[in-house]
Amino acid sequence: MAQPLPGMKPRPDQELALNMKLVSHHELEGFGGIGEGMGMQLSRDGRRILWLAHESAPKNFTAVDVTDPRNPRVVVQTELPHAKVRSNSLDVVGDIMAVAYQTSAVNTKPAGFDLFDIGKPESPKLISHFDASGEHSRGVHAVWFVDGEYVHMASGAPDFQPTNPADDQFYRIVDVRKPAKPEEVGRWWLPGTRVGDSTPPLARHPKFDSGYRAHNTNVFPQRPDRAYVGYISGGAVILDIADKSRPKLISHWRYSPPYTGFTHTVLPLFERGLLIVSDECVHPDGKDWPKLVWVVDARLESNPVPISTFPLPPVEAFAKNGGRFGAHNLHENLPVPGSWKSEDVIVGTFFGGGVRAFDVSNPYQPQEIAYFVPPAPKLSRAGSIQLNDVYVDDRRLVYTVDRFAGGLYVLEMTI
Amino acid sequence: MSPSPAPTRDSLAGKLPVSLITGFLGSGKTTLLKRLLRDPGMNRAAVIINEFGEVGIDHELVASSSESMTLLSNGCLCCTVRTDLQETLRELFIKRRAGEVMAFDRVFVETTGLADPVPVLHTLQTDGMLGAQYRLDCVVTLIDAVNGLQNLDDMPEAAKQAAVADRIVITKSDIAEPGAVAALEARLARMNPYAAHCLAVNGEVDVAFLRDVGPRSTHAMPQDLERWLAPSGEARPEGAYLGERVRAGAHDAAIRSFCLWFEKAFTWDTFSAAVQVLTSLRGSDLLRVKGFVNVAGEPGPVLVQGAQHVFHPPVTLEAWAGEDRRSRIVFITRNLSRESVEALFAAVGTLAAPLN
Repeated sequence: MAQPLPGMKPRPDQELALNMKLVSHHELEGFGGIGEGMGMQLSRDGRRILWLAHESAPKNFTAVDVTDPRNPRVVVQTELPHAKVRSNSLDVVGDIMAVAYQTSAVNTKPAGFDLFDIGKPESPKLISHFDASGEHSRGVHAVWFVDGEYVHMASGAPDFQPTNPADDQFYRIVDVRKPAKPEEVGRWWLPGTRVGDSTPPLARHPKFDSGYRAHNTNVFPQRPDRAYVGYISGGAVILDIADKSRPKLISHWRYSPPYTGFTHTVLPLFERGLLIVSDECVHPDGKDWPKLVWVVDARLESNPVPISTFPLPPVEAFAKNGGRFGAHNLHENLPVPGSWKSEDVIVGTFFGGGVRAFDVSNPYQPQEIAYFVPPAPKLSRAGSIQLNDVYVDDRRLVYTVDRFAGGLYVLEMTI
Repeated sequence: MSPSPAPTRDSLAGKLPVSLITGFLGSGKTTLLKRLLRDPGMNRAAVIINEFGEVGIDHELVASSSESMTLLSNGCLCCTVRTDLQETLRELFIKRRAGEVMAFDRVFVETTGLADPVPVLHTLQTDGMLGAQYRLDCVVTLIDAVNGLQNLDDMPEAAKQAAVADRIVITKSDIAEPGAVAALEARLARMNPYAAHCLAVNGEVDVAFLRDVGPRSTHAMPQDLERWLAPSGEARPEGAYLGERVRAGAHDAAIRSFCLWFEKAFTWDTFSAAVQVLTSLRGSDLLRVKGFVNVAGEPGPVLVQGAQHVFHPPVTLEAWAGEDRRSRIVFITRNLSRESVEALFAAVGTLAAPLN
């Protein structure tokens, strides 16, 4: 265990870097708290526009022109109608953007998602709103929209009564081939989470109950018949969605308890038969440590086997600097133009641990090959950087965002 | 060893460069280190020294310190070798990652005056963790103009230090006899024409001379390779040959340096077979080997370097820069002639399966 030297304790005000270099930093006009929605548009006029969903009100989303990464410029920044809603998540396909809306209480609007025409990035035009509000619903937490045809999402619904209020968001598939008229075509929830299920209600996590809810709901063109779903307290789920109206469970890897819950992302590496599964740290000061990124052998998809975890820096050095420290979002190899795709190098955000890149070419021994931990942003209430999400573009530039105040950091990898 | 496949990771750019500072007792290492530690250009450097006492760091320069590490007010991190260099380099990397020391971006290592620098080179090549995080940037050898010639004659370690150098700093030129510097330079030029020289009085040397010598990226350009292999301009092929005929001192008479060029591409098997024969029969006499090889099927030149029996993992650059595809390898050897090495490569070449 590395012990800090006298007079040389880890300090959240210092920058730490290995093989990542800051290219630019933008505080987003003073609204530098970004959620987990990042999408890149290659606009018709040849620009690269990075769309960012804010973590909470008052701002909805911000678009940043990163064509010249040394000189990012805000193109547009929009407002939410009130402070009980947040966008948090978005995805971009061509000139269409889906933006999630989640409310802090049930029975509140808007709760669902919007589709925008962003053909002119300066003036996004609302195409339609998909309403998911209801008596037991807080709307949509996360969207996955990569093919221009379907929005896959973690969402509540007016007709869904969860057995426990924390289990309100499940997996829904919405057909948006007619963008003006989005229509739900299928859904899946963990048996036992809906009132009326034949399966009895599930035992709660004894210490860290964040609900049996869907988080990321990823579907890739390599396997259009599969959905890879992080199900928070429920672990990692693979679904057969060949028939979207009737998703079927293929496998369900549960590891909490004994672990501390909150399975966030299930990222398949198709050529390698692997899944990269990330947790989300949701408690400050290391209370829910360890929050890990797992490498899972999924050659036999009905029997996923965890084989290693990403080597994170010492918890003693980072957990008590203020805020959270542990795994969160990964760059998800988005199957859209402009996104970097790698089955060997996985980049993720770790809140106070910054953004980190891992080489998984040997899946049994992932190696950390790069990291960047910005100094604590001025005015951040956390006391340390809280990197929330990351997007890597096909120029190998890394875009990462702070959850509270720091805004956008653009980094160059020298791996 | 075999060349890495088409690189998805830049195996050079991703590593922290290490410069070794070597030099015989009294060559002025301490004076040089004293200056370096105070240099504003050292603000992201970590310097590993043998003893704090020697470099005499003033209190007002110290930003924070512990028993073995001191952060100086210019941002330079100075630490002493603990039990051994290997452990010190590992510990530094671990502390860097935990944020317990600043995120240094290069390391200077002082070797002890009597030390043979070659085992230190091996440390970086044979320790898996160190090899993954650090790369050798260069060997800097200090030689003083007053006693340097004598040391080269009398002390085999001094000759070896000069032979393996990528950069040579000549010190004490201000107090040396007239003509001593010129004599020393001429001697060094014969012994190791592939190292650039500079003069330093009272340790004053441009930090830039001591760093960024080795190729820094698999995108390295021809000028980067040139700076590494022939910093003082192209050594004429006959230079080394004539050099062997000039009267030299007792100990370095046997030290030769030469550069071999090969017109035809190698297969990796051929090249590594030749290197294996060379290291197994005469490894201890290969003081330093460095260069790049045209290997059939590789997208760019393959960098090779080694010292005695140990070679670094080869690194394939992304592309050739121009039309010239010749392989080029610098050898610094002891009691091993250019002709023998050439003959070995030729013999192995005749046995090689023809290229398709």
